[in-house]
Amino acid sequence: MTLQVNVNDILSQLYQHRSVVELLFANRENITVNELLAREDISHEHFQKLKSLDLIYEYESIVSLNDAVVAMFEDFMEIGEVTPGLINDYLNELNRHISFYQEVREMRFLRSIKKYLKRINTAITREIIKLQKNVDDTYKNESNYRIKLQKLEDYRTKRDTIIDFIKRSGVLLEENRNLFSLSGDSELYGIVQNLKGSLIENLDYLIEIQTDITDFINKIQFQLDVYVKAQHLKEIKDHGALFFRTNFKEVVENINTLRHNGHKSPKTKIPVDFLYSDDGHVLCKKVAEKYKLTRLMLRGVADKMGANFKEKGLEQQIKLDTEKLVQRFLTQSKLNLFEYLMDYKFPKAIGEVSFEERLSLFVEIAMEYQNKLDFKYRLHYFDYEDANKNKKRLGYTLILPLLENKKKEKAVKNE
Amino acid sequence: MSAEDFNLPRQTHEIFAVMARGNFISSNGSRDGMNRLYDVINNPENFDRLQAYFNVIRFNIERGNNYFYFSKLGEPNSELEKKLERFERYIDIIDLLASMDNKITIGSRFRPTEIAEECNANVRLKQKLQKIPLYRSETLHNKVREICELMSRDSFLELEDEKTESYKVLDSYTYLLDIINAVAIYEDTGSSGDSTQGLIYN
Repeated sequence: MTLQVNVNDILSQLYQHRSVVELLFANRENITVNELLAREDISHEHFQKLKSLDLIYEYESIVSLNDAVVAMFEDFMEIGEVTPGLINDYLNELNRHISFYQEVREMRFLRSIKKYLKRINTAITREIIKLQKNVDDTYKNESNYRIKLQKLEDYRTKRDTIIDFIKRSGVLLEENRNLFSLSGDSELYGIVQNLKGSLIENLDYLIEIQTDITDFINKIQFQLDVYVKAQHLKEIKDHGALFFRTNFKEVVENINTLRHNGHKSPKTKIPVDFLYSDDGHVLCKKVAEKYKLTRLMLRGVADKMGANFKEKGLEQQIKLDTEKLVQRFLTQSKLNLFEYLMDYKFPKAIGEVSFEERLSLFVEIAMEYQNKLDFKYRLHYFDYEDANKNKKRLGYTLILPLLENKKKEKAVKNE
Repeated sequence: MSAEDFNLPRQTHEIFAVMARGNFISSNGSRDGMNRLYDVINNPENFDRLQAYFNVIRFNIERGNNYFYFSKLGEPNSELEKKLERFERYIDIIDLLASMDNKITIGSRFRPTEIAEECNANVRLKQKLQKIPLYRSETLHNKVREICELMSRDSFLELEDEKTESYKVLDSYTYLLDIINAVAIYEDTGSSGDSTQGLIYN
């Protein structure tokens, strides 16, 4: 190390640049210095500082995290390469401390023994989990088949190593059984029991992994064998002997997939009701386009209805009525407009038409159809009761239908 | 009579839509939720119900190694000529893939350019590729592309990323391998003996 560092320094540096650390951890081996500095999480000085602390390395302008940091994260996350050698180190340490303890029965050695027993337990479990993950990962993601096979074989060896360590741990526990029980330490007893249990469990697990590995290797092997056979068949085919030297024809004859037999999916008739729906219309349109049927293309989907389409509808209805109403009013000559509206029997569909509504209709017609109406500019009076039963009198203009000759006069005037 | 009446899975319609077109449903396919459909069929309860349901219209679900497909019940396999032609072409294609330096197997991802480049560098491969009977395609790259498209149409490959044009080999590819494996070669004099396991002549 170039600088004297302490835990606090390292932690604060890592924390300060945690986004960078995260990035480098996720993208090992392919982040360049320029890329990193361009990300603006880190300044050049900070980068130099991290480098001087040896937390990151730069090699041929590729930035990578310190292996120790990576290893720490990987250990916690139980990922990364399988390193069974670690268990071996622990076993040796354990042996050393046991011999110390046999010499001098001191608590400090017993404490180390416990520590290493615990470590062995966690290390074995962790390595096995990593092994499983790596085997799966290799089988699924390694694209080069030779490397894939090689890797799987390597994992098989690693598995054997771990089994070996498990056995050695078992032997070690057995050999020192007396020593452990003589110590009379209940905690040690618990740890030993725990380790024994997990050794058996892990051994089972490893056997399972072994079948997985074998299975994977076999599958790859099968594929490779088939590839060899495919090449062989191709050779035969190129010699024009495919139908004579192999049972290719029979095999293909027995192929029952839909696609290769040209079986069509069953055709069903479309229900007529469906064709009237919007989805059905879309279908019709497609068909029309395909066969160029203009008759079907004409029909369009209705626009989306407005939120207030109900109110709108009613208004329109009344308006339509107004026009007819005016027409009818114009053809009669007995009543003036006001009286006509008050007496008019509206169709039932509209419902009850109140006095106020009739009144507004009167105003509306007076304003909109003034050219067709004869305004007499004389007030007539109308007596009625309002909602509170108060007697009221309303004055209104006398409006009559315009007669033919007067119509002409008005037209001349307007010109 | 709807799917619910038979206690069928919700995806029955989708499953039918895929398989009735003659496609495979593979466990490692990701397009249009194919792996989800696979899981649905693979559930033993669902499988029995679906099988019974589809058998009514004489479709039979066939189970392979991590894939499913339909066959037709009680109907003779037809179109032998076409079938032979197709499978001869599959042999050509698989022979090409088998001769590549980087073997394409189930779950592999690759881009047509990679294959085209390798073929360009290797005369043997180049000849193989050029001899595969296809319609258009003048350049090697286009030819590989056409092969990939053809294989994805038959649902053995899946176009995983359109931008990078990267394909993934689906589990249904095993079907082709199984077919090739099933072909017996007569009067095989010694040639299978010298090809030691895993060694492939390139």
